[in-house]
Amino acid sequence: MSTMTINGQPAPLPDDPDALLIEVVRDTLDLTGTKLVCGAGVCGACTVLVDGAPVVSCLMPARAAAGKTVTTVEGIGAAKLHPVQKAFMAYDALQCGFCTPGFIVEAAAFHDRWRAAKGTAMPSREEIGAALSGHLCRCGAYDGIFRAVADACTGRFDNDAIASPPRMEARDKVTGAAKYTVDIRHDGQLEGVILRSALAHARITSLDLTPAQAMPGVGAVVSLLGDDRVVRYVGAPIAAVAAKDRKTALAAIAAIRIDTERLPAAVGLEQARKADAPVVFEKPDRKKAGNVSEGGGSPAPWKGNIRGPSAAFSKKPKQVQSWVADAIEANNPLLVEGTFRTGTQSHACLEPHAAVARFDGDVLTVHVSTQAVFHLMELIAKRFKLAHDKVRVIADHVGGGFGSKASLGMETIAAIELARAARTPVRIAYDRHEELSVTGYRPAAEVKIALLPSAQGELKALSLTAHADTGAATNSTIAALARLIYPAEAKALADYDVISNLPPGAAFRGPGGPPMAFALEQAIDEAALRMNADPIALRKRWDPDPNRQRLYDWASNLEVWRNRKPASAQSGRYRRGVGVATGYWLYLWQPGSTVEVAVKGGRLVASTATQDIGTGTRSVIANTVAREFGLEPHEVEVRIGDSRLPEGPGSGGSRVTASVIPPTLLAIGKLKAVIEANAKRKPVPGSNAPWRELLAASPDLVAASERPEDSKQMSPGIQSPLKQVGLLGWIFGFMMRRFSNLAIGAGVPSSVQVIEVEVDTWLGHVRVVNVHTGIAVGKIAAPALAHSQAAGSVIQGIGYALYEAREIDSVTGDILSGGMEDYRIPGISDTPAIDVHFDEGGFGHVLGGSVGIGEVATVPTSPAIANAVCNATGIRLTELPIRPDRLIAALKGRAAA
Amino acid sequence: MTPAIMTTAQGPEFRAAGTDLSERRRSGVSTGPLIDIAAQPDMTSMLWGADGTLRIGAFTTIATIASDGRIAAAYPGLAASAEGLATPQIRHLATLGGNLAQRSRCWYYRNPQIACLKKGGSDCPARGGNHLYGVAFDLGPCVAPHPSTMAAALLAYDATIITYQRSGLSIPDVLGDGSNGAADNVLLPGEMIRSVELPAARQGERADYKRAISRSHAEWPLVEVCARAVVTNGAFQFVRLTAGGIAPVPLRLQAAEAAVQGQPANALNIQVAAKLATSGAKPLPMTGYKLDLLEGVVRDVLERLAA
Repeated sequence: MSTMTINGQPAPLPDDPDALLIEVVRDTLDLTGTKLVCGAGVCGACTVLVDGAPVVSCLMPARAAAGKTVTTVEGIGAAKLHPVQKAFMAYDALQCGFCTPGFIVEAAAFHDRWRAAKGTAMPSREEIGAALSGHLCRCGAYDGIFRAVADACTGRFDNDAIASPPRMEARDKVTGAAKYTVDIRHDGQLEGVILRSALAHARITSLDLTPAQAMPGVGAVVSLLGDDRVVRYVGAPIAAVAAKDRKTALAAIAAIRIDTERLPAAVGLEQARKADAPVVFEKPDRKKAGNVSEGGGSPAPWKGNIRGPSAAFSKKPKQVQSWVADAIEANNPLLVEGTFRTGTQSHACLEPHAAVARFDGDVLTVHVSTQAVFHLMELIAKRFKLAHDKVRVIADHVGGGFGSKASLGMETIAAIELARAARTPVRIAYDRHEELSVTGYRPAAEVKIALLPSAQGELKALSLTAHADTGAATNSTIAALARLIYPAEAKALADYDVISNLPPGAAFRGPGGPPMAFALEQAIDEAALRMNADPIALRKRWDPDPNRQRLYDWASNLEVWRNRKPASAQSGRYRRGVGVATGYWLYLWQPGSTVEVAVKGGRLVASTATQDIGTGTRSVIANTVAREFGLEPHEVEVRIGDSRLPEGPGSGGSRVTASVIPPTLLAIGKLKAVIEANAKRKPVPGSNAPWRELLAASPDLVAASERPEDSKQMSPGIQSPLKQVGLLGWIFGFMMRRFSNLAIGAGVPSSVQVIEVEVDTWLGHVRVVNVHTGIAVGKIAAPALAHSQAAGSVIQGIGYALYEAREIDSVTGDILSGGMEDYRIPGISDTPAIDVHFDEGGFGHVLGGSVGIGEVATVPTSPAIANAVCNATGIRLTELPIRPDRLIAALKGRAAA
Repeated sequence: MTPAIMTTAQGPEFRAAGTDLSERRRSGVSTGPLIDIAAQPDMTSMLWGADGTLRIGAFTTIATIASDGRIAAAYPGLAASAEGLATPQIRHLATLGGNLAQRSRCWYYRNPQIACLKKGGSDCPARGGNHLYGVAFDLGPCVAPHPSTMAAALLAYDATIITYQRSGLSIPDVLGDGSNGAADNVLLPGEMIRSVELPAARQGERADYKRAISRSHAEWPLVEVCARAVVTNGAFQFVRLTAGGIAPVPLRLQAAEAAVQGQPANALNIQVAAKLATSGAKPLPMTGYKLDLLEGVVRDVLERLAA
């Protein structure tokens, strides 16, 4: 048996020729800082040093490490933190942290090479980008990573001092100590694997689990079939196996005998909307469809595979049709019409959907990579008929979610079923193909738009009809979102779901927002061109929202905007253009959210059953508490990620900040009153740290508060966005609160982005040069983290605009882009210079003044880029992503394939 | 996910660094026996001849080729191609021989659920399916482009391949003409690449490499071109152009070469040559854009070589 030396210790290597280095590192040695993500050498999360050089441990055969020296992230900062680790912490060069260990290993090696060769010179962005080109970050922390690596190379972080980082858990994430769900390992834990349908539509006529059950090493086999035994997409779950390791489990699912009756399938929007298309959900089965929005669905007609129109947010829709018809008749040059198509965007969380279930007597504990520990506990209790206090959901760290981990997923259901059957803990962690195929996506959409200005230059009529490619799911809301911005005399807004034999879509960061904005913001841009108006000035005229009015003033004064050239003024290979677009999202908060603030042993502890998916929830709470007591955030302990804590909000709908800060402030108020009343000695006059002294002397105390209603005292012009929809708006708000436990508050979180691009007309390549993102979400609770979120939103928006496309084989319905090399998310070198502007007004009626940022910040990116491309080339790109094939076709005046 | 549907028994596969093979083992596309290559000393060394020729052992890593100063001076197109492929972590492991003998990146081939010619199937599902990244020179039954960037560069340098059985093999001798859709090369069963020989560089020659991709880095090429040129007195005395990403095998762009051979190295002549780079193309319904990209990349590299 051969050995390697890992982090200074000898370790044996297995003889199995198929064993990979990462399996030894993670599974045998429990060095879980090294992460398995793509399994194909694309993302770099598994990077370790072998004889000092970074390699991907997911592809390196274990036996190839014989006699070599291996260093994992745990070995990088073992004695004392590496300068790169300190820099990542200081510049908040991370969010969910799942990619961070890989980046740290690579960046540390680059730093050490650079310093040896170049001393304390600062490397360029290009040099850093090339060195880190083998790493991907889905949160888009690249802006901070650039700064961290550059400054670490100058020697700025050589000394031993470690400033307290803006992100509470940063140290655990840069050292690899942070444990995610996939890292949990109980004694006797089995590995679960799901058998999935290879057919897009079939009835399972018989399912024989016994051959799998009989195999050695198999602990449990369960059926996952629904009552109708029908599978409706490739990848639909059929059964699950728990075995001593993944290899055994894979062999066991291969042994399961199934007989299937193949049913006719409709794969994707075009096939599904044909008149003679096979129907995916017959009437009794419609409840089996998934949901692509954040809230519950409203009723809509459903015929065959088409559900819709959902048109409740229209206003005088017949008037729109007649005005538009008149405008066409009259050849009105101001009428803007177009059809816009957006691509399917995968969440592509780097931590896959994963759950580890264990029963201790009648108590079920589940570690889940989830966006909602508390709500998930309720859902599990309901499904498995358990009392709430018998179910505990834990998520200390979550490697990204973006909307895909908001509900009870099959990984969790199957892990629980298997753990119960096997009477031992079971882990299920999806592989990358599963993650990129069956965990949801932002549905592709076809949006037809007509926009008609009046002769006086006002917005007269607007029509949007959206067909969303939702797969085995419903409830797309795209067109309706055009009601809450740019008031017009009449609006005709209709949403349709086109249901097909593809995996169900899911909510994804601002569901419906980006496709709506891609169509609407380009139509506005086109109207400005035709009216010979400045596009920002036109928006300022048509959009009275006070938050956005301030952002328009900011945007119109940007130098890059004032210097922009007229459309299509350029020839030559490279052409630069500047575009603008607006976005908004609803301000949502979760009633019942409760925060407990306690003094324990002289230390402040804030607790709530929420979770941090990379957004910075721990830091938002710590900063809020620290500010009120005049302490440093790291002096406050924040407990989250556990459903046994007081009920907290889910991380979806940008609701966390607005749900936790107000009750935190109320609880602090209560706690302060008790501390002051208890104090034997009032603080020494002139003391600059009265609370620190009082806390140190205080007995243990607890105060908890529930999220209060907002104040009715609002700044001028601030109102609920639903007001303009009248009674229907009120009903919508009531339904959201009643059935989705979400309150829609007054005031509209808003964003305006000004983006400059460079188009290479020879190679069909768009490079985003710089982005100015102006965001109005009230007071910023954790500035460095809000900056990270804003920049990351832009980077994800760049992916949506330029690269990301989930590709399907329309014959089989199987996914083709099931790996990270084919599902292309932005890399560090695709990151532009990003200038973040926060306008902190507008939410004075919210206790603390802060609302969430996660969604609003990503809505306008794709139309701003398309408008910039139009400004550069004179050509309007109507289909996302704007890939080389599409851009080349557009430049040559051809239709893209 | 679910078990593979492989229909044919798989013969043994050689494993060098495993950067391609490990992914296929994990997915279940490769299930046959493995033979780990025990590299002989000549497989890991570089040997310069007195006449300026170079023999590179097949086990030499891509990173070594990319960073070797002497290679960069004599064969800059080879060094730039090595630097341009994959990621730093892959380049550090992956070998020259493995790069030449790697399997297709086609997403149908890589999906264990879908049968295809390269997995013993009877037809190519990409041809009638989604072949966005397929060939634009449709030369055989399989429509996936050959994945080896190094092969296109070695073709530009008239390199020859030495195996344990044969020597003096050209790139077409090793990779075929694209007519065999079942394989990515035409090596004999059990034949292993031992080293690669490059003839001496020409006096005063320059070279460049460029790939068209959607992002900035770390993406399989839509189109890639390796170009060599000797420019004397403002005229192309010698031009060699090879391209990858467009055909089942790397292609020499002879019509484009001929168009500028002996001609003044100016923008107009380069534009004419770039247009001719697509001579003989047979694009698929979804790959017409690759011809525009090919024209653009050829223009890009020739302009830089002429500058």
